[in-house]
Parts: sequence; structure tokens; C-alpha cells
Amino acid sequence: MPKVIVQDLQKRYDDVLAAQGVSFEVEDGEIFGLLGPNGSGKTTTLECVIGLRQPETGRIEVCGIDARQHPKAVKEKIGAVLQTIALQDKITPREALTLFASFYKRAAAVSGLIERFALGEKADAPFDSLSAGQRQRLAVALAFVNDPELIFLDEPTTGLDPQSRRDLHAEIAKMKRDGHTVLLTTHNIDEAEQLCDRIAIIDSGRIIASGPPRDLIAASSSAQNVLLRTATPIDRDWLAQIPGIDDLTCDNAMITFRTTTPGAALAALMQIVHERGVEVVELHARKARLEDVFLALTSDQPPQ
Amino acid sequence: MRAALQQLRISLTLHYRNKMALIYGYLFPLVFLLAFYVLYRHERVVLARHMGELLTVSVLGGACFGLPTTMVSERERGVWRRYRLAPISTAMLVLSVIVARYFILITAGLLQLAVALGMGMPWPQHPFDLWIVFTFVSFAFIGLGLVMAMMADNVPAVQALGQCIFLPMLIIGGIAVPLASLPDWAQHLSQFFPGRYAVQALQACVAGPGLGTTRFDLLALLIIGTGGAIAGAKMFRWDAQQRFARRSGKAWVSVALISWLLVGTLAEYRGRLAASARPAPEQTGQTAPASGTAPAGTTPPSSGTNPIANRQATPKAITLSDAEKKAAGRSTQPPISPPDGSSPAPKQTARAEKTPPAKTAVPEKPSAKTDTPAHPTVASWQAVTLADIERDLVFDRLPSDSGIVTPIAPDEEDPDPDTADHLRYIQEMLPSWQPGKVSDPVQRVRNMLYVAAVPDVEQLPIERFAPQAVFYQLQQDIPKDQLIKVLYWIALHPTDGDDKAVGELWALRFSNDPVDLEQTRERAAIYGVKLLGRLLGKLPRGAS
Repeated sequence: MPKVIVQDLQKRYDDVLAAQGVSFEVEDGEIFGLLGPNGSGKTTTLECVIGLRQPETGRIEVCGIDARQHPKAVKEKIGAVLQTIALQDKITPREALTLFASFYKRAAAVSGLIERFALGEKADAPFDSLSAGQRQRLAVALAFVNDPELIFLDEPTTGLDPQSRRDLHAEIAKMKRDGHTVLLTTHNIDEAEQLCDRIAIIDSGRIIASGPPRDLIAASSSAQNVLLRTATPIDRDWLAQIPGIDDLTCDNAMITFRTTTPGAALAALMQIVHERGVEVVELHARKARLEDVFLALTSDQPPQ
Repeated sequence: MRAALQQLRISLTLHYRNKMALIYGYLFPLVFLLAFYVLYRHERVVLARHMGELLTVSVLGGACFGLPTTMVSERERGVWRRYRLAPISTAMLVLSVIVARYFILITAGLLQLAVALGMGMPWPQHPFDLWIVFTFVSFAFIGLGLVMAMMADNVPAVQALGQCIFLPMLIIGGIAVPLASLPDWAQHLSQFFPGRYAVQALQACVAGPGLGTTRFDLLALLIIGTGGAIAGAKMFRWDAQQRFARRSGKAWVSVALISWLLVGTLAEYRGRLAASARPAPEQTGQTAPASGTAPAGTTPPSSGTNPIANRQATPKAITLSDAEKKAAGRSTQPPISPPDGSSPAPKQTARAEKTPPAKTAVPEKPSAKTDTPAHPTVASWQAVTLADIERDLVFDRLPSDSGIVTPIAPDEEDPDPDTADHLRYIQEMLPSWQPGKVSDPVQRVRNMLYVAAVPDVEQLPIERFAPQAVFYQLQQDIPKDQLIKVLYWIALHPTDGDDKAVGELWALRFSNDPVDLEQTRERAAIYGVKLLGRLLGKLPRGAS
């Protein structure tokens, strides 16, 4: 049974439809990503699911509970990390965890959370003295204060340094291993590709594609991307005789194109380079990635 | 419940970690207290008469600035949004915020009260009632603070909104400016502000009859607090971007405004304006204060500060001009002339004067600390001569009539209508006022001078006009040569005689608030010298 069911969700801000007919499901034990550019509606969708915003229409079911009818019951079962880590300047991690633990019927041990999220050194330090990474760990610890079945993470790695980001990725992976279900939003394609079992690409308030990343890539195109960098510039006209290429760009000493016949295209390209006496600096040919799929899909959407 | 208690504990903990909050919450009320203390001439009993205003300012500041500032800043940075993810109700959060603020207000009030008591302010007459009234006042202003917190989008908006409420309430709301000194329209307007009811109710418990006379004030505070609490709850928003929880949220402001209008209209309907703007006879006449209620621990003033006694070792001779002698109506050695049959025999008078003061905390004689007696040759008031006066008194050291100590209004100045009413009443009643008819002429004059001295000590609106009525009546009752001697005698013996007449001032429509008897006697002596100076032509009549 899915942990989250969202059907035909609609949310409007004045004249702007931030979510229009959004539907998706999150299965038990998976990491599900809502991927989209800034302003695409992914945060609005997540906030409607966790009860921070009231949608105009739509059905939201979380852990088998109608979230619009029984938001309090849903809140007992979920934990969330919002984009902004908001606490009072002078509250300590221990006090914050104790306070939030008191809000729930079932609460995890505060000392255990402090240890698990490596907050021991700063457990009694004011919030305004914590680093960005420590604040993020505290935010995640707060999401776990009620030992939730389902975790929501809204762009959790934004603003983190590479090490903190890597640590958080490891923590999210651990959540899945521990049996938690995770729904995260991100605009970081690599993060979504690396972490998520399934993703839904959202743009202009609509879900435009969903599924496992590899399936999305496979479904989008079988073309390969070719990049060539040379020591001296190449004339664009020289490349006209190469068969089966699309989206050709020629920028001084670098050319890119897509092709569904990479063997023939590369042979023709190498012959031209050889005949013109141009030195090759770099040559790549690779299959499409999620980024290509994402860019292809989001750039095709008509403006709202 | 566990969540509410934790939330309360954290709210208070964070408040006490915030230096600015401590400064605004606890230090500012003390600054107000010290400012009032200084402005009101370091008089301890007067401090008690302004405690209602001081406590109201503290609650107003804490509830209308402190509360919304904390709430809005937490909401702005998203703390409440984070709370909203938890399964807690709005009511629980608001309740814990209210209780935390009430605790902060009551501790600030207690601190203010403790410091005032340390300064010598008399103990509040109804402490338990004071706590009840303080709770009502806190409720009313916390309700107002909640509405402000919901209306303001950010902290600067709170400050702007707070000033819009704070300043009018201070100036025309009856908090910083006495209602009696406001124009009529402002007095009517003040009935629509909660500050007026807060001051009145608190003051009634500090130095008044207590809860019994504050029913309407408490009702008004309850209505205003309830209106604010309902409006605040309905307008509640967790999120800075969320303008109001419901689209109709803004309309709930009207509930708070209606509560103010309702209270003002009720007050107008009940005609409370006239009853509360001036002391009600039935209140002032309930019990006369015992003269022994002077604050404990008072210390006698230094004799060196007596502005009227000439303390020079070899006093410079004062030569009366012919005009002055004429003004005095006597030669430099006036004969002793008993004024009339009603005057007591000198021996009796002397005996009466030797009667030790009945009450405590009276100052020492002005000459007590001097090596050389100020009046070595004067055995009784009847033996006073102009030479004694010239030797022992100086008139150019007297406080100015236009100053704050022993003021006297110039003849051409008219009092405001309320003060004029009171003055007329005094003028009518003074001839038959019993303490002004006692047989001992010294005590009689002393008693009459208390009528001028008490309003001065209490800084009542009539303080500048009462001396004129007293001077007039004394000159009507007592022959000039006798009055001159008696006034001299009182000037040099300010602590002699009794002060029971202070307890009879209710008959002249003065309040029954406790009064500092030391200061009353000092001021009576100074007024005596001022009148003496006028009788001798050393001071101009109606000087301003």
C-alpha cells in the first residue's frame, strides 16, 4: 500500500497556479524525489502534503490517513526538514529536541538523537553558534524526534558544503535501509539520480514525467551526445557532410551534436579532422543522462 | 499539557537569555519608576499615588511591545512554521505564550513594586486585590498585544503599531497625564482606552479603597481583553507569508475595536467621567488617614536644609523700613495683645505647644543640630518681637512661588474649572472647618497651614491655589500682630503641636491617601513664613 497518495492536487496563489492536477504515489520504503527547477511547484506540493498549506482541491492520503481531514493524525506519523532551518537564536539542540519531543505522543530519546546525528559537542550550545552543517543535522534530528514512518525533505542539501552534503546523502540512504519512506524535493539532478528510487519531474505546477531515473533516461532518447575540442577552430561548413547528427553547435574550437548512429558520425568526423590537419584535444561520446532528460522535458513546456 | 509546559519553560528560558528583552522587560519599568521618583521630588508617598500609572506603563510596554515583538520575530524567521509541523493546536501555543508573558509581566511588576517599597513607598493597602487587578490589566493588554502581533508583518511594523497605541494611551489615555488636567474632550476620549481603567483599578489597590470601587474598571478590562484575545486567535497566522489564516481574518480586528467602543460607550452611559475625574466625597470621606501612617524608616531632614531659619552665627540685622513697620502694624517691639476672648491664655498656649507630637516620624526641631540656639531669648510665641523675626528669619531664601515646593499662584491666575470648583468648596468650608477653630491660636494656624501644605506635598492640582484661601482665612480669623508672632513661632517650631488636622482634610474634599507628615510640617512652616513675609511687606502680595 502506498505511503503517500496525491491525486489531482491544485493550489493557487492569487493568479498563479502553483500546482495544477498534481498526482503521484510514494511506495512504502522507497526514496521518492520531486525534481524541478525553482518555482516549479515542488515545495508547494510537498507543503500541501505535510499540512503547511491548504490546497484548493485534491486528495492527499498519508500512511493511509486522509491528510486534509485529519492533519493532526498525519503529523504524528511524519517528520519533515524544511528549506529554512528555523529556530530561536538562543535555544540549544538539547532544548529544541526536548521541546519538539514533547509535542508527540511517541517520542524518541533525545540523548539517542544527539548521538546519532553527532550533535554531542554542541548539544548545549545556542543555535546561533552552530555551523550550517550542524544546523542541518539538528533539523534532521528534529524530523526524527517522533520516530516517523515517513520523512519529508525539502531541498535538504541546499547551501551545504560538499562534505556536509555527502554526509546527508549517506544519512538519507540510511533512512531507507532503516525502513523509512522518504519524499524529497530537489533541483539537483545528480542528487535525485543518486538517491531516488523513483522521481517525478515537475514543472510549472505539473508532473511531466515520473518513474525510476534509468527508465526516464531510457525512455527519453537512445541518442548519444558527442563533444569535440580541437587545438584550432573548425569551420561549421566542414561538418555538413557528417551523416545523422542533430543539435549541432560550433563554438570556436568546440563542437557538440547528438546522433543515433555514433559509429558512422564519429568516423566521418575523424576523417574531416584528419584531412584538415586539425589537432584533437578532447573527444567524448556518452549516452543521455537525467540532466538531458530533465532539460529536454522542462524546456519543452509551454509558458503558463 | 506536557507540550504546553515545555513550551512555557522554553519561552521563559529564552526570554531570560535575551539581554534586550531583559532590558525592555525589567530595566525600563525601573527607569520609569526612578523617573517618576525624581520628577515627583523624591516624595515617597507621592510615589504610591502614581504606582497605578507606573505599573500600567510596565504592563503596556511588556504586552504591547515585548509580546508582539517576540511573536512576530519568531514567526518571521519561521519558528512557528516549524511548530506547525508538529501535532500541536493553535490554542496550546497561544495559551503558553500568554502565560509566559503574564509571568514576565508579574515579575516585572513585583520588581518595580519592591524597588518602590525600598525607596520608602508605603506598602500597598490591598496587596491581594492588587494581584487580581494586575491580572485583569495584563489580560487586557496581552489581548491587545496579540492583535498587534497578528496585524504586523515584521518587527518594524510592531514598533510603529505599538507607538500608535502607546503614545495616545500615555498622553490622553490617563496613564502619564492625570485625567483631571486633560481637556474635556480628552477625558471623554480616554474612556475608550484601557489605560484609564488600568490606572484607576491599580491605584485603588495601592492607595485606595481596593477592589470594591473597581468593578467597572475590571469589567472594562475584561471586555477589552476578551475582544483582543478573540480577534488575536481568529487572526492567528503561523507563517509570515500567510496574511491571515482565513480571508476574513482582517475583519476580526473589528472585534477588538468594538470592545473598546463598547467600554467607552458604557462608561459614557454610566456617567463615569464626572465621578472619576475628581475625588468623590463618599470615597474621600470613608476613613481619615491616621497621622501615624507616615512611612516607616523615614529619617528626619537635616536642619541645615531648613530654608527659613537664619543659621548665621552672627545674623545680619534686618532693618525694617517705615513702610515695613507700618505694614507690620506694630512698632519694633509689639505689645502682647490677646486678640479676643476666645483666645486661650498664653500659659495654656505654651502648654499646648509643649505637648509632644502624638505621632511618630516627625522631624527634629530645625535648631536641634546647631550649637547656637536660633531663638535664645524667645520663651513663648507671645514674647516674639520683630527683632526676633529679623534675627532668625530670612525671606530671600524662600522657595519661589512659581517653583515646585510651596507654590502660590499669582492673584491674576485662574484655576481650571475642576480646581476652581474645589477651591470654592474650600473657601466656603474653611471658616467652619473644626481644626481651624481650636482654641490654641498656634495650633489653629498650624492646622490651617496644613490645608496649604498637604496639597503641596501630594502635588494636587489645587496646590498653587489653596495657600491663597488659607492666607485669606487666617487674616480674617486672627489679628495681624498675633498672626505675625504665631507664624514666627511655627516657623521655628515646625515639629511642635499635633498634626491630627491632616486627618480632617477629607472635610475639604481632599483624598484620604496617606501623606508624609514630616514634609507636611516642613511645608506648613514654609507657607507660614511666606505669609509672614507678606504681612511684614517683605514679600509682595500675589507674587508670582
